[in-house]
Amino acid sequence: MGASIPQLLVNGVALGAAYALIALGFVLVINAVGAVNFAQGDLVMAGGFVAVTITEYLTPWASDNLPDLAFIGPRASAVGLGLVILPLTMVVMAVLGLLFSALAYAPLRHRPPVSVFISTIAVGLILQHGANAVFGPEPRVGPPLVVDGNFALGPITLSIQQLSVILAAGCLITGTGLLLSRSQLGRQLRAVAQDPEMAEAIGISAGHCIAITFALAVALAGSAGMLLSNQFFVAPSDGGLFMLKAYIAVTLGGWGRLDGAAFAALLIGVFEVMMAAFVSYVMAEALLYAGVLLVLLVRPSGLLRETIQRRT
Amino acid sequence: MKAGSLRNVGIMAALLIAPVAFALSAGGYEQRIMTLAGIYAIAVLGYQLIFGRLGALSLAQGSFFGIGAYTTGLLGIHLDWAFPASFLASLIIPAAIACIIAIPVLRLESHYFALATLGISQIALLVGVNWTEGTGGANGLYGVPPMRILGTALDSSEAMLVVVWCVLASAVLAFSWLVKGRAAHRLTLLREAPEAAVTAGIDIGARRLSLFVASAAFGGAAGALQAHSIGVVSPAVLEFQVMVSILAMTVIGGRGHPAGAILGAVLLVHLPEWFRFLEAHYLVAYGAALLVAVIVMPEGLAGLFRRWLVTQERWAPEPPRTSKPEAPTTLAVLHLVGLCKRYGGVVALDNVSITVVPGEILGLIGPNGSGKSTLINVASGLQTPDAGEIRLGNLDLTGMPAHGRARAGLSRTFQTPVQALGLSPLESVLAACPAGLDERRAERHAAACLSAAGLTAPAVPTTSLSPAEARRLDLARALASGPAVLLLDEPAAGLTPAERDDLACCLKRLTDSGLGLLLVDHTMDFLLPLADRVICLATGSVVAEGPPSMVARDPAAIAAYFGEPPP
Repeated sequence: MGASIPQLLVNGVALGAAYALIALGFVLVINAVGAVNFAQGDLVMAGGFVAVTITEYLTPWASDNLPDLAFIGPRASAVGLGLVILPLTMVVMAVLGLLFSALAYAPLRHRPPVSVFISTIAVGLILQHGANAVFGPEPRVGPPLVVDGNFALGPITLSIQQLSVILAAGCLITGTGLLLSRSQLGRQLRAVAQDPEMAEAIGISAGHCIAITFALAVALAGSAGMLLSNQFFVAPSDGGLFMLKAYIAVTLGGWGRLDGAAFAALLIGVFEVMMAAFVSYVMAEALLYAGVLLVLLVRPSGLLRETIQRRT
Repeated sequence: MKAGSLRNVGIMAALLIAPVAFALSAGGYEQRIMTLAGIYAIAVLGYQLIFGRLGALSLAQGSFFGIGAYTTGLLGIHLDWAFPASFLASLIIPAAIACIIAIPVLRLESHYFALATLGISQIALLVGVNWTEGTGGANGLYGVPPMRILGTALDSSEAMLVVVWCVLASAVLAFSWLVKGRAAHRLTLLREAPEAAVTAGIDIGARRLSLFVASAAFGGAAGALQAHSIGVVSPAVLEFQVMVSILAMTVIGGRGHPAGAILGAVLLVHLPEWFRFLEAHYLVAYGAALLVAVIVMPEGLAGLFRRWLVTQERWAPEPPRTSKPEAPTTLAVLHLVGLCKRYGGVVALDNVSITVVPGEILGLIGPNGSGKSTLINVASGLQTPDAGEIRLGNLDLTGMPAHGRARAGLSRTFQTPVQALGLSPLESVLAACPAGLDERRAERHAAACLSAAGLTAPAVPTTSLSPAEARRLDLARALASGPAVLLLDEPAAGLTPAERDDLACCLKRLTDSGLGLLLVDHTMDFLLPLADRVICLATGSVVAEGPPSMVARDPAAIAAYFGEPPP
């Protein structure tokens, strides 16, 4: 195995940071409507394909209209294009999130949470097989965030893509945190998550807030899809594993806790990369599931304290 | 047999025979499709037990299917086991695995239950794909021998079809046996009003375990038949796709009735045929069908035929000749000794000791937050005390689970009663009757409890009960387990003065047979005339105790309600 420990750590943190974005979206929906969004992984996959599609349109345009920076490298005009593609992907995904909420949640809002669980499984199926129909089963490569390549830091070689993924994910996580804690919109979203009836009583539209939460959650999933699509490629069947990682992160991090979920996701990413490097990828997966079962055996209500009670 | 169940049997027979007859006349290809539908219907029946009846979203049913298939494949190929033995093993091994994983999994809350079962199915898939020596890895097992019954190999598609649907018919019988009569009502009560169910003496852990294990056996049976039917076992049987198919069939067919299992399986197995023009992308249509079904048909296809399919007998009882319950009430004194309960820094109960003697009405008053509801929750076993003892007669109830306390003779009602809307009032009370009573005596007992609680029209649907009637139903259900002591949590809240007087008479009558009542209420003109003794709680401690007239004048009690008088 050629990679050094610092390189592996960067790999792990980059993967974990992307998982954290997925898990954040997952928790936001849990808190807002009390239901598990089983399609979250497929939405990550959809984000990857949205990024791939945008890149296909944008790259020819960029090479025609942007100055050729030939001294940087062969595909120089594409340098930094990812920084445009990321927000574009998130906007498209946010719109998809509104659609998702209107289709899979709104008709079921007066039903038990398990109905929403099933409707999101259905949407996941539609997304997965829809992507298969449109893009085919083969993995596609997504755009880099800034540029491909490595840079040397003394004896250690680090990938620019992974460092920029860590940076971008860090900004998005911080941004989400600030949005929820500091802005008026964030306060309203949290109020609805805590007690929708009370929020309605003081003039907040719970319906709008829930739709916005879905848009935000799906945009976060999409951003993770874009960030992962370069190194790991994107294929229609990818969704299930992403969803599982988010689900596990939320369980380990304390049901309903944003900080706990993000932190647990980071740990899962590092654990997965390290285990895969030193033992095997299969062992990494198996130990992760066995670990969750063990945690649930010892602490049936999750590793950290739940912030909300009695949800499905 | 009642007319409803006779019609039910007729419909089920038609649903079992018609598809087979159709496939036999339609030819080999349709026979193979219908065989697959029968196989899935068996797995779906099992899933209806755990998901439909118990309401637990297990995501491991697909894995039990796969484990059954591998069991049959391995035993048939390597050990040359013949059909009946390998089939039996394919039921037992998934059931045994379910038994083992039940230990960590079954006590989990729903969202963790879903994740844990999903994690288990992922581990099963990893084993199936990577354990190359055992399972054949990604290539799977080839050459599973066809079924042999009495020395005859059943390798024609007709024979396979008939055998599969015969197994399905037996599975329907097993399903009906598992959820027959009051067992079905108990499951509905557990699903829709879990707290009411456990405090009525229903053991949630035992029910979950037996249904989870049974569902695994159904899944294993389906997998075994699948292995015989296609002769190959590949890791595809362990993939999540199988689980999604079973879930979709259950939701689209209807999650509670065996007819739903057959309708869902037959429909969804044929779906790819009908959406053939979509080629490999028919799974998009699959997802869309699932989405539409969950939105527009919450009860599935079987729900559309609800009027004909009787899930439970709707039956109006003959008015009871006596209002004397069938289950004998034993007389016992309830001792609550030194109970303490803290929530973080808040002391809800601070060394509270209370005794309720037979035939007595003990009133419990105190301002909001004084610990009255906590006391009832701790006594009935919904919450664990930090210290103290709960004894009923000579029995120590302290470590007992809630359902054990109800069976021992300590029963309760709820401040906001939650009703199982899927049950009629009578069925709801039947669910709480002691398991020892046979159906006939249970029905008489339930009718007597309803009339003792003053609920006169029990044949109306539970949804149309008034708040006062809903409280009466809650009371009847609490009486059904045959309590010695009954804890009543604000039974008069929200009642009109006339309804309150009515309730007072009814409670007074209950004590005639020696039943002891602990009555929590805020309405003094209801409680004071009724109670033999009154205790006043404030911030978790007893501040006054004695005859009603004395406690009503007690300075400590007055201070607790109105605050300290100005100096």
